[in-house]
Amino acid sequence: MLAKELRSELRSRVALNAVGLFALTTLVAVAYQIGPYRIHEDDRPHLLAALLWIILFFAALSGLARVFVKEEDAHTAKTLRLAARPLAVFGGKLMFNLLLLLALELCIVPLYLALMGYSVIGVAGLLAVLLAGSLALATTTTLVAAIISRASGSGTLFAVLTVPIALPLLVVLIQGTRAAAGSAEFSEVLPALRAIISLAGVQLVASLYLFPVVWHD
Amino acid sequence: MGGVRIDFDRIVKRFGSRTVLSNVSGSVRPGGVVVVTGPNGSGKSTLLNILAGALRPSAGTVRYLDGGNEIERTRWFERLGVAAPDMAVYEELSALENLRFFARVRGVDAADDRLSALLERLGLLARDQRRLVGTYSSGMKQRVKLAQAVIHEPPVLLLDEPSSNLDQAGHEATADLVARFRERGAVAVATNDPREVAWGDAQIQLSL
Amino acid sequence: MTKKSVWKWVLGAWLLVVIWAAFFYAPSAKGFKGESARIVFFHVPQAWVAVLAFCVNLIASIRYMRGHDPLDDARAATAARLGLVFSVLATVTGSLFARVMWGSFWNWDPREVSIAILLLIYAAYFALREAVPDEERRASLSAAYAVLAFVTMPFLVFVVPRIYWSLHPDTIINVRGSLDMESRMFQVLMGSLVGFTGLFFWLYTLDVRLARVRLARRRREES
Repeated sequence: MLAKELRSELRSRVALNAVGLFALTTLVAVAYQIGPYRIHEDDRPHLLAALLWIILFFAALSGLARVFVKEEDAHTAKTLRLAARPLAVFGGKLMFNLLLLLALELCIVPLYLALMGYSVIGVAGLLAVLLAGSLALATTTTLVAAIISRASGSGTLFAVLTVPIALPLLVVLIQGTRAAAGSAEFSEVLPALRAIISLAGVQLVASLYLFPVVWHD
Repeated sequence: MGGVRIDFDRIVKRFGSRTVLSNVSGSVRPGGVVVVTGPNGSGKSTLLNILAGALRPSAGTVRYLDGGNEIERTRWFERLGVAAPDMAVYEELSALENLRFFARVRGVDAADDRLSALLERLGLLARDQRRLVGTYSSGMKQRVKLAQAVIHEPPVLLLDEPSSNLDQAGHEATADLVARFRERGAVAVATNDPREVAWGDAQIQLSL
Repeated sequence: MTKKSVWKWVLGAWLLVVIWAAFFYAPSAKGFKGESARIVFFHVPQAWVAVLAFCVNLIASIRYMRGHDPLDDARAATAARLGLVFSVLATVTGSLFARVMWGSFWNWDPREVSIAILLLIYAAYFALREAVPDEERRASLSAAYAVLAFVTMPFLVFVVPRIYWSLHPDTIINVRGSLDMESRMFQVLMGSLVGFTGLFFWLYTLDVRLARVRLARRRREES
């Protein structure tokens, strides 16, 4: 499944373009307006962490629904539905979204740190938060993407459904990023990390039960 | 795989306030071809969708019986090969890549020569098999769709207008496919094409 | 039938008593501006009902996913509708209270945020339903979303505050959560809770009964 997704995507590059372009544009806009010097020293930890995740989150919203919506639009969804086991489909699409997200972060995060003058002390902590956060974000959005692809498939609906569920995740991610940026002690990041991982775990398990329902109806 | 039979009883399907299917019953059995006919909009495709498990009926039951054991809905697809106008294959992949994917996903042998042979039998030349499906004519796309439906040699074949977009040669290849299938399995065809209607030993006529 | 209508009047009377008691029986709360604390007698039960509706919706959604009974879908939708109404009420009353007490309509108190997110979830639920014309599919998709949302809520309510507030201690939550209420206030609050819960179940049962009749009629038209 994953191989097929990757091959399809590399040939058409639609999702990559959408997500990448969105993230880049937002980043540049933010960096230009705010830059390393405009934020007051005290506010820096909060704002910089928050802005990073806002950029990543909205970029995700612009591209992660594609894995399912493009299948429905191209009418291959029904073919797939009648050929593959649902969990294989979900697994493949989830992996793809996860890889997409990680690739996005690989490009955007270093750029962000540089452009915004964001000095991060606890690099290991930041990486852990990014990894865990990507997993959690990918899990949430993949299931919702499946749901909306069988509804109207519109990006607005995707955003409307994802936001209430993703908000707690975002808060914790920003929290964790702040903790990581501010200290080299890994233990500082732990509370946030635990929350992210348990949220991801719970949603993953729920998705494994819910996806077949969504897929087959 | 042995003989799989589909029994459907008093199927009703509503879309909002419109009732498309009303109390349709019948059965698709190994060794026979059931043809579903009716004017456009009478619900032929809808019925096939319901039999395939792609749609839930508003009322009525569909049962799959494999040698006496009832199969639950989530596992019907393992025994099915379906080709329909609203089921496309991946345009950004080649015919061979498509088949390779579907074969692997269904857990059957994905050796290139086997896949290639199947495509040739359906009339897709070797030199076209590696081009992206997006570049194909509609007739060629139809052949790939049919290939995907039979690659795993399912016991049940559900075909919705299988000869659409096909020339005479394509139609004959499809007829050949159906003929070979009826020996081993059950086939249901939804169509208005009189040549296809002639394949059937049993007919279900739908009306508006 | 008369037995059921009696309950309706009992409920009505109960609520009237509660409203009266909220203003006249319970004493003024100390430390609150003027009589503003009285809104708590309405705000807390509204929030409670919004959550209760969520739970009812969850149960109905799970049942639908198992049995595909359209009545369960009707139950889920009804619960969600009521939940939406009550969460709007709760957010508004909470916001008014915040305005009077602390001068601003919104304070990012975790409980306020939870109720607002619950509201967003209900709104999203209905947005989803609107987007699906096919009835059976609509039921399945909204049931799946409801379960996903429910699974995420505990994190918002319990986990996030623990992390967030450990860095930002705030007296708001203490003041809200304090249980050292005068016994009379406590009585009224409990009474109001019971009353609002009764209100919810009454409206819920009415709506479900209506749905049941509609479904039965449709079934008859088919056969």
